[in-house]
Amino acid sequence: MSHDETVKVPVTATPELRSAAEEKLWVELAARFRAKRDAADRWGLMAEVKPEKFRDAVLYLKNTPEWSVDMLLDVVGADYLGFKDYEGPRFAVIYTFKSVYNPALRVRLKLRVAENGSVPTLSDIYEIANWQEREVFDQYGIKFDGHPDLRRLLNHCEFEGHPLRKDYPAHRRQWLSANDFLLPELEARLESKGYRILERSEEVLPSPEDYITGSCQ
Amino acid sequence: MIVLDPNGERMRLMPLNIGPSHGATHGALRYMTAIDGETIVALTSEIGYLHRGFEKMAEQGTWQQVIPYTDRLNYCSAMMNNIAYCRAVEGMLGVELPERAKVLRVIINELSRIADHFICVAAAAQDLGSTTGFFYLFDSREETMVIWEKLTGARLTNSFARIGGLYRDTYTGFEEDVLNVCKTVERNLRDIHACFDRNRIFLDRTTGVGKISAAQAISWGWTGPCLRAAGVASDLRKDEPYFDYETYDWDVVTGTQGDVFDRLMVRLAEAEESLKIVRQALKRLKPGAISVNDPRIRVPAHNKVYQDMESLIGRFKTVSEGIRVPAGEYFSSSECANGELGFTLISDGTGKPWRVKVRPPCFTQFAAFGDLVEGSMLADSVATLSSLNIIAGELDR
Repeated sequence: MSHDETVKVPVTATPELRSAAEEKLWVELAARFRAKRDAADRWGLMAEVKPEKFRDAVLYLKNTPEWSVDMLLDVVGADYLGFKDYEGPRFAVIYTFKSVYNPALRVRLKLRVAENGSVPTLSDIYEIANWQEREVFDQYGIKFDGHPDLRRLLNHCEFEGHPLRKDYPAHRRQWLSANDFLLPELEARLESKGYRILERSEEVLPSPEDYITGSCQ
Repeated sequence: MIVLDPNGERMRLMPLNIGPSHGATHGALRYMTAIDGETIVALTSEIGYLHRGFEKMAEQGTWQQVIPYTDRLNYCSAMMNNIAYCRAVEGMLGVELPERAKVLRVIINELSRIADHFICVAAAAQDLGSTTGFFYLFDSREETMVIWEKLTGARLTNSFARIGGLYRDTYTGFEEDVLNVCKTVERNLRDIHACFDRNRIFLDRTTGVGKISAAQAISWGWTGPCLRAAGVASDLRKDEPYFDYETYDWDVVTGTQGDVFDRLMVRLAEAEESLKIVRQALKRLKPGAISVNDPRIRVPAHNKVYQDMESLIGRFKTVSEGIRVPAGEYFSSSECANGELGFTLISDGTGKPWRVKVRPPCFTQFAAFGDLVEGSMLADSVATLSSLNIIAGELDR
């Protein structure tokens, strides 16, 4: 179980390697996808991309062997309502990427989103994007175009509103009671695997008294 | 429910709900399976039972007031989360820590890692029906907990790291206690290997179960021991060294199969590597400062505050207004017991964070759970779940 000689070992990221990689990648991103460097990140590489160029940029980063940015670490929503000296659309979605075997290369892409706006999904490129985007939708109400199953993830299915928005009061209380009905999702999962439902389970459709109010109705 | 399978054959599936209050769903998770006999055909899951709005709470207070909330992320290794959060804020502030603080953080990190890995393997043993294995591993963990009690005053949710250093210096006899724990850990490792390595039941239940390939694991965003078990030698302590991890002599442990057995064994082997680091760190532990000497960042000690005007002002300002973290957006991740614990921080230059986003390592691992166990037996899903080490505190935040 100890260290095996055949295992490919990632290159140790030194500050020099890191700044060199960032410099090089930055030139490419600016030339190919008209990315703007975001001055807010003074420590690493954060590039602002337009939504229409975004998926191309991600596919380029992932599929070019020189970069092979193969891991989507995190999808972060942000609400700039009331942020000091801020102008522009209210929300932003920040994607944090990493290259597993070349950890000197960490890149973040930022998309700015207006209220009720949407951004393209990455759920067909990275498996994990599915849940991460659901979380951003849950917390901020930002929609992801093309997402297969955009539902709440962390908050309760009866919850109303999007709690991490700056105008959602931290002390608001909501009465939530029912369990999420997982059966419709289970059926969808079966169908995506090639099964066809002939007869639904009796418990599939909740009775009205199972729900009070909320987004899951 | 009655379905037609992909070959057009009619079959009857039973929907079976497991959790949220089930012995195998550590914390509170829920999953729903469609089973054919005992084989899982499809699985969906629901999380969020422990969602308490960590990120919203973090926005309400000052930068320092986030620290106790971070204990509750991965409560099996609480101090590691403190340290990861403080390291992120220190990165924004551009603080260089004193030597003793770094060495102490390494010791705490590695002891926490051992305790966390042991809990994971112990719980897995318990889930597979081996109470003996469970108690072998809880032995040294209890001794670690006693050290934590002496050091911080709390057993489980202890916060010891502070932005710019540590809460306080160690107690007299800390070094001996740590050395004694190291010996117990070694004994426990011998016991657990004797218990499991050639145990037919254990091997049958774990080998080839819940397999994942390296490419899939990367696409699912896996990090930490679970990714290493799939054969990827990725460890932030080696890849992007911090706290001088590059100067210690230790190896990254990898598995080959990416199954339950590898994930558990990688954890045990990592505990051995952590022991090496702890022993080397103890030799480096020299008396010295444990925090940066900057009243704007680290609150001056009480004895200074009552004597010295500058310290009094420093204490008043940092406590009531918070540390002024320069405006900007920052991402920092540290290698925690479960993998990469990342913090995305957005600061508007005031004493309160604008946004704190946690990237919990087990979130990505649990997202892949359905894909891991579909096609295997229902009992295998329990073995797989415990090998992923899902900690609901950080999964749901």
